This record gives sequence, C-alpha cells and structure tokens, in this order.
Amino acid sequence: MPVFFVADETKKALPMKSKIFLFAGLLLASSMVQADDKPPYTVVDGDKVDANTFAGWKAWRAMACERCHGAKQEGLVGPSLIDSMKKLSKQEFKQIVLEGRPGTAMAPFNEAKTVVDNIDSLYAFLKGRSDGAIQPGRLQLIQDPGAESK
Amino acid sequence: MTIKPKLKHLPLVFAALALAVPSLVFANADVAKLISNPNNWAHPQGNFQNQRYSTLKQIDTTNVGKMKVAWTFSTGVLRGHEGGPLVIGDTLFIHSAFPNKVFAINLSDQTIKWKYTPVQDPSVIPVMCCDTVNRGLSYAEGKIFLQQADTTLVALDAVSGKVIWSVKNGNPKVGQTNTNAPFIMKDKVLTGISGGEFGVQGFVAAYDINSGKQVWKCYSVGPDDQMCMDGSKTMTWTNGAMAPVGKDSSLKTWKGDQWKIGGGTTWGWYSYDPALNLMYYGSGNPSTWNPSQRPGDNKWSMTIWARDVDTGAAKWVYQMTPFDEWDFDGINEMILADIPVKGKQTKALVHFDRNGFGYTMDRVTGALLVAEKFDPKVNWATHVDMKTGRPQVVKQYSTAQNGPDVNTKGVCPAALGSKDEQPASFSPQTGLFYVPTNHVCMDYEPFKVEYTAGQPYVGATLSMYPPPGESHMGNFIAWDAGTGKIVQSKQEKFSVWSGALTTAGGIACYGTLEGYLKCVDAKNVNKELFKFKTPSGIIGNVTTWSYGGKQYIGILSGIGGWAGIGLAAGLEKDTDGLGAVGGYKELNKYTELGGTLMVFSLP
Repeated sequence: MPVFFVADETKKALPMKSKIFLFAGLLLASSMVQADDKPPYTVVDGDKVDANTFAGWKAWRAMACERCHGAKQEGLVGPSLIDSMKKLSKQEFKQIVLEGRPGTAMAPFNEAKTVVDNIDSLYAFLKGRSDGAIQPGRLQLIQDPGAESK
Repeated sequence: MTIKPKLKHLPLVFAALALAVPSLVFANADVAKLISNPNNWAHPQGNFQNQRYSTLKQIDTTNVGKMKVAWTFSTGVLRGHEGGPLVIGDTLFIHSAFPNKVFAINLSDQTIKWKYTPVQDPSVIPVMCCDTVNRGLSYAEGKIFLQQADTTLVALDAVSGKVIWSVKNGNPKVGQTNTNAPFIMKDKVLTGISGGEFGVQGFVAAYDINSGKQVWKCYSVGPDDQMCMDGSKTMTWTNGAMAPVGKDSSLKTWKGDQWKIGGGTTWGWYSYDPALNLMYYGSGNPSTWNPSQRPGDNKWSMTIWARDVDTGAAKWVYQMTPFDEWDFDGINEMILADIPVKGKQTKALVHFDRNGFGYTMDRVTGALLVAEKFDPKVNWATHVDMKTGRPQVVKQYSTAQNGPDVNTKGVCPAALGSKDEQPASFSPQTGLFYVPTNHVCMDYEPFKVEYTAGQPYVGATLSMYPPPGESHMGNFIAWDAGTGKIVQSKQEKFSVWSGALTTAGGIACYGTLEGYLKCVDAKNVNKELFKFKTPSGIIGNVTTWSYGGKQYIGILSGIGGWAGIGLAAGLEKDTDGLGAVGGYKELNKYTELGGTLMVFSLP
C-alpha cells in the first residue's frame, strides 16, 4: 500500500488543487487495498456458497483434514485454522499446505491431486470459516434466485 | 544372575522349563530363553502371550511411591512415541517416531553403543493417517528387527547396528505404510500393513529371520486362496458352535470388486501360542468409512484371526463388527491366558475391542465364551447375541441406517473406541486384566468418496466429546475376563492411551495424556501409589527390567497425533453457531510434543 508523506510545510504551501489530487490519490490507494481484501468466497445465509468455495469444502472433506484440525476447523492435534487463517496470506497458506511445515505434523500435500487442483478453493472455504461468514458443517451451492426451490 | 547349565544337563533344563512353562519349548529357543529371564524385557509385549507382566518384585506397593528418575534419554525426534524399549542383558534398545531411529544403549553408563537412522522418503508421511508413530522393535538370535514407516522391514546386527538384510513389505504409493512392531515366532518375523483409510487390502506376512525371504503372505479380505483360507477347514462361531466358514466366505460379503480396496489392515499386536503353533491378531476397519458404499458383512474385516505360524493357514476366525459403521478397527492385542471362564479352566484369548466389547474366546477352537461391554456407556449395540456372535445394533446409532449425509449423533464409543492400540496387561497374580480405556462419544456423518490410489479414502466427518453428563474421558479398569465384568474402575481426566504393566510387586502402571506416569495398587486401582509428570503426554507402553541388581521402570514420553484427540476433544466446550470463535481445543495449549525415554527406580 503506497504511503503518502506530506510535510507540514508542504501542506500549508500546497494550492487547493494539489490537495485534492493528494486526497484523490489516497482514496485511490485505499480503494485498491479494498479490492485486494474482497473476500474470495460468496456466502448466503451462512451455508450457501459459490461453486469455487463449495469445491473447497468438498476437498476439505475428501482429504479428511479434520482428523488433525477438527470438524469445525477449531483445532485438535493440529492448530485452529479459524485462528491461523487470520494471520496467513493466501501465498503463505498455499505454501504451507503444498510444502508442509517441516518439524511439525503438517505434511506436504503437493502430491495430492485433490489438494493441488483445489488449493484456491480450499483457501476460499477456510477463509470464509475463519471470517465467521461461513458456518461449520454441511454446505450447499447458492441457488439461482429464479430457480424453483426443492 | 545368569544360569549357565552344563551341556549334559541341558535336556534336564529343557524338561524343567517344559514343566514350568510348557509353551516355551517349541518357541524360538533363543527368544524364549531371554523372555523367561525376568531381568530382560525381550519381547515388545513382555512375552509371546502379550501379557505385559513381570515377575520382578523389588519395586512393590510399599515402596513404589519412593521411585525416582534414574536416567533419561532423548530420541531427538518429536511426534508420537508409541511402544517401548527392549532390554536384553546389559543393553537397552529403543526406537523413535519417524524417521524411526534405533538406539542401542549401554545400561552400565547410558552411552550409545550404536545408532541406526533409516533413510526414508518423507513423502510417506502424508499417507500415514494417524501420526508418524512406530510401535517398537523385536529381537532374535543376535538381530534387532525394525519395521519402518515406508514398509521396509530391516534386520540389524544387535552388537554393531549394521544392516543384515532389508526387504520391502509394501508400497506407500498405494497408501501402504507401517506403524506396527514386528513379532518373532519360531524362525520367522511377522508383520502387517497400515492403510485402512487409504483403501489398502490388509495382510500379514512372515519373513525368514535369517534371510529376510518372504515365507507366506495372507490377506484379510478377498478370495479364499489370498486369505490362506480353506472353506471346509477354517472355522467360525456359528449358531452356538464352531462350523466351517464355507467357500468364498469373504467374497460373498462384498459388492463387486470393493474387497480389492477393502481394508482389514493389521497394524496392531500379534500373540503366539507355541504349543498350538498358532498366531493371533485382529484385522481393522473395512474401507471406506461410508458404509453405504460397501454393503455386506465385509468379511473378514474386524475379525479375530488364528493362523498357523508355519503356513499362515487360517484355523479359526470370529468377526466382531460385521458391516462396520463406526471405524471400530479390530486390531487391538489378543492376550493369551489360562484362566477360569464361567467356572471352567480355559486356554483363553482375551481381547478388548475398539467397539467397546471385551471378548473371551477359547483360543484352541475359536469358540465365543464371553462378550460384554467394558465401558458402561457403550450404546451402538445392546449386546452380542452369544449364539450367532453378532452384535445387536441400535438403529438410532447406526450411521448406515440413518444414511449418508446424515449426522448420526451421540454414538458411544467414538471411532477411537473404548480402547485403541494401547495394550492392556494380564496379572497372573490377581487373575485380572488391567485395561487403559477411552471414555469418548461422537457424532458421525458419512458421505460419498471416490477412491484414488495413495489418497485418503475416508468418507466421514466426526466430532468427539466425553459422554453427555460426564467430563472425564478415560478410565483405568480391572476386568474379570471369566465373567466379563468391570471389577474396579479409576477415572482419568483424559483417555488413558498408554500400554499398561503389571508386576509381581503388586503394582499396575500406566501413563496419561497430560504426561503422568502412574502406578496403582493392582488389588485396588483407585489407590494411586506413584505419580510423576514427564515432559510430554504419554502414549508409550510401560516396561520394566532389571540391571545390576536394580529394577527399573521405563516409559516413552512424547504425545502423538490421533491419540491426542483423546485429550484435545475434551479441553474446552465447543461453541456452536456462525463463526465459532474462542473455545479452541488445540492440543498444544495443554502439552508440547516430546521424545524422551524416562527411566525410574528406587532411590
């Protein structure tokens, strides 16, 4: 995120136009930051998610990650992912899952097709859980609002 | 003290041994002799019968409270340390979790005599479902045997640590790994395979002690010849009597080719009756954890097996949990003991299963004698019908009847069972069994999974917790296998996940998941006589030996993966609802990992 230093003397001396440009620049910068922070998941009513995130939930189940991280990602013998996902960037997450954490029980999963093919989806699902937006347990796909509900 | 008989006296010595302990004469003579010397601990389970009992009595109920740490040894490895040391003469042999280092330690000064560090591809680790544990070593005829995680079985020279032979027992690329200890029986070393969560077709195999050549290999599921089963000769309990299993007894209970990825793995403890020439062990869960994908009884998963040691031929079988719906692996130890059963002196086999039932079998014929709950909270079945041998399943707790994608709630025990691999002990002194148990229930929701070689093939999501209304998650019990009754029960805060030990000194010892080594009075298990906090949680097996006139008790301290669920699941109350934050149950809030052998003696 770009940082704008404006010296006090300069502030006083700057004409109005420049201040507006600066201000606009700051706004632009912050909106760029907002764009990066847009959630990687879409969720409705806590348990209906977009296809990408749904694939992440299915990959989580297929790989039995809960055996170490708990059925609600709350931690068991492995750490709580609700907690971890608050601290990890997407890049760090991918590195840990694919390459493992040497010296710990977190093994590398870069040879597991289900993980490799769905790594971005896994990130979306777990981020949603960590943000408190996606509830624990069974998920569904977001239904087309125009479609008939079953 | 070593007895050195004159050559001419040997027949007399053998005869005397035969009278004293009839079963030892036909065993591997070298191992049998070492086992019969109580100064040693020459078998991973104490003796061929898996009794975990010592006749040593220097440490007894009057003085065990005074035990002090004598010495300690770090394996240099973290992660779960199951199993325990072997002690032969003046040398202690100890193994570690992955990468499965082996150390020979001089008991005179605790220096390392030799060290063996296997080179194993770490890609085997993600294919191990339940932490990178190893349950220990075996010894015979100057060789130490190690069963590595990557399925390599290796024989090391006990004096130098050099590799004598090495053989591949399986293939990690298809989900096969090993965690079990190997077992010496006559001129063979026996081992099994892990991978029930990876669609592995389970088997046991026997290798020649001297050459490492495979002598036989017998599967748990599939065609009769693969299982070394003869439909007209292999017997099973049927309507109150033993009857032949019949042709294709396994194939008939699977749909299509499902048996090929059918499970029935063999990662537990094996016992051996030299007089009968039979080996006994249990087979694990059928693959997947979603029962609707494998209709049928899934024979012979979840089964107690008796096989001929020389050929592997199945003499008798008994399936404890047909069509498993809860992952109640049948691999726990088969303790052989000659005890009164319902008033009649019996050559018995006693087994505390994951499913919560304590079984007593006639180990000669395979007859079912006793099947009773060893945890009062067990609810998935009301009882075992003693005529058919089948458990009577309660519909409410049937994950299959409730169906896939349905959360079946409140099943007791949880998948980790009323007891997992942690071995119990038999005390000939009291005639009772001392059993480390789990007291945990679960919600279990099966779902459909696809099979891919080398990938998890599980198909269920679980939550585990103490039984409703209770807060303790373990009990150390004394059990009468003749009547199927809990005689005494001592509560523990967490699952008791260590192997037990009993001695002629009248003590029973075990370790806790918070890390305490405890010894209690074998006549009253609620009388705690000794307690010491080791560096990490304990999932190893308490072991004893003697050296230089002093008795020692040793235990590995180093908590591990899935065992830690027996601790973590009970740490804090779960919070339901959206975005559950707080109330985390991370194991590392309670104990750190470790890898130390702690050795105690009287001051």
